[in-house]
Amino acid sequence: MTGVSRRFGALQAVRDVSFDVMPGERRAVLGPNGAGKTTLFNTICGDFPPTAGRIELFGADITRLKPHQRTRLGIGRTYQTSLLFNGLSVLDNLFVAVRGLRPRRFSFLRPGRDDPSLAQARALADRMRLSHLLGVEVVNLSHGQRRQLEVGMALAGDPRVLMLDEPAAGLSPGDRPELLRLLRELPRTLTLILIEHDMDIALPAADIVTVMKDGEVVVEATPDRIEDDPVVQAIYLGGGH
Amino acid sequence: MRRGLAIAAALLLLALPWLLHAVLPANQAGFWTGNILGRALVFGIIAMSLTFLATYGGFVSLAQMMIAGVAGYALAIFVEGAVPRIVGGAGYALAIPLGVLAATLMGLLVGAIAVRTRDIYLLMITLAVSMGVFRFVETNITWFNGYEGIRNVVGPSLLGLDFRNPWVFYHVTLGTAVLLFAGVMYLVRSPFGLVLQGIRDNPRRVSALGYNVALHRIAAFGVAGFIAGCGGVLATIYNIGISPGTIGLGATVNVLIMAVIGGLGHPVGAFLGSLIFTVFDTFAATIYDRDRFNTLIGLVFLVIVLASPDGVLGVGARLRRLLGRRAADK
Repeated sequence: MTGVSRRFGALQAVRDVSFDVMPGERRAVLGPNGAGKTTLFNTICGDFPPTAGRIELFGADITRLKPHQRTRLGIGRTYQTSLLFNGLSVLDNLFVAVRGLRPRRFSFLRPGRDDPSLAQARALADRMRLSHLLGVEVVNLSHGQRRQLEVGMALAGDPRVLMLDEPAAGLSPGDRPELLRLLRELPRTLTLILIEHDMDIALPAADIVTVMKDGEVVVEATPDRIEDDPVVQAIYLGGGH
Repeated sequence: MRRGLAIAAALLLLALPWLLHAVLPANQAGFWTGNILGRALVFGIIAMSLTFLATYGGFVSLAQMMIAGVAGYALAIFVEGAVPRIVGGAGYALAIPLGVLAATLMGLLVGAIAVRTRDIYLLMITLAVSMGVFRFVETNITWFNGYEGIRNVVGPSLLGLDFRNPWVFYHVTLGTAVLLFAGVMYLVRSPFGLVLQGIRDNPRRVSALGYNVALHRIAAFGVAGFIAGCGGVLATIYNIGISPGTIGLGATVNVLIMAVIGGLGHPVGAFLGSLIFTVFDTFAATIYDRDRFNTLIGLVFLVIVLASPDGVLGVGARLRRLLGRRAADK
């Protein structure tokens, strides 16, 4: 992405952000609340197109594409607060997610028992440790299970770039190792961009860390150098204020 | 057990005219069969088009009665024998599908116009389109014969049986309602239906998963238009014609009341609501006073929504929970 900015009226939420993410790279985006991390995510995924700048995905300009068109090009994402289909079962949520990138996704015909999308949805549930809850309505899941389902749905379309927005938000300490395990199990071919407040999750999962503040990138460094960085310390320990 | 219950209900509905005939004098049995049950089914179909959109898409549309009217007008315009003759020349075998097609297209058009709106704004825009069509129809003489409307749409004869025979009308209407109901129940478990429910719960996520939300929304209005169109054709034959009042504000609100009384949780609610409405509409004169029908139905509406905000269906669900708890306590 090159020179990406996003303005909401008088508020400059993201200011002139440029960085390249290499295929297979794991990048964590850190920063205090209001730093513009989620807005940056939304400009990449197309929820809010940038007001300036250019975003490319594998060499193709996607700056003006709609969210569903970007998804079809290989971007999968999760949300800070789980955006699930509460009235549907776990299996239906995953099935809808899997079908989203199939050629005949608009269909009035019910899937057969051996439908490949249904089989893939079951396999995903298994991978996310949710296969014992297939028929349960999502509204009845625990918070941790919802976060697992959230990641499962983002993985359903076999994305080439996976974007996770605070996957550990609201998780109990007991649920965190499970999430870290899920992240570590992701194939190395997958490019991962991760927003996370919790350094214990973000740093082990990342190859490179981008730190944002007031809509701008202030530091870019490897995880082993990030904790000692004076700018990061100032942001997180309040020394800069 | 659910399937058994559905089959038992269908058999009971099928046999109902005979049961009525056994307990009532012949003329009253015919009246109940055609004017109460038949009419309740017709308006139940139209109300179900609203319930389908509300239950599975989260869209409350006030255009459904107008869309039903579009089917009725298309039928009346093209069918031979209608008075005055607007186009004429078509038999019922052609004019009925034309009517349903016109309603489906109108449904798609309303869906496309309202594609970006939700909640109260969707309600207002569908109401505005309905009232626009209503006023246009009322003032256009060339195509719609203005205020008077088009009469003498008597319906086809089936295997030599007159469509106006209450038994024939009831069974054709019942068959249509059952087919449409089964179609809705099939559709909501199809990928289209699941995505529609996804849009109801979280449109942003649906888009992020690679679906075209606008396309699914418009298609849902098309499906609802088809359902309303089937109801509109039957309503026009039931009324032996159609006039602008059929799609006026009163009729539009009545369909909404039927859907809400019955409950927006399941398509069957539309038929329960329609039956309650039809009974009160028919017997208001006997119970209280013909001119006070609106007061009466208003009171019934208030009592039902106060006692059970999710309609008659909600009462059933509460009773089941209560009985379940009693059984568990024992």
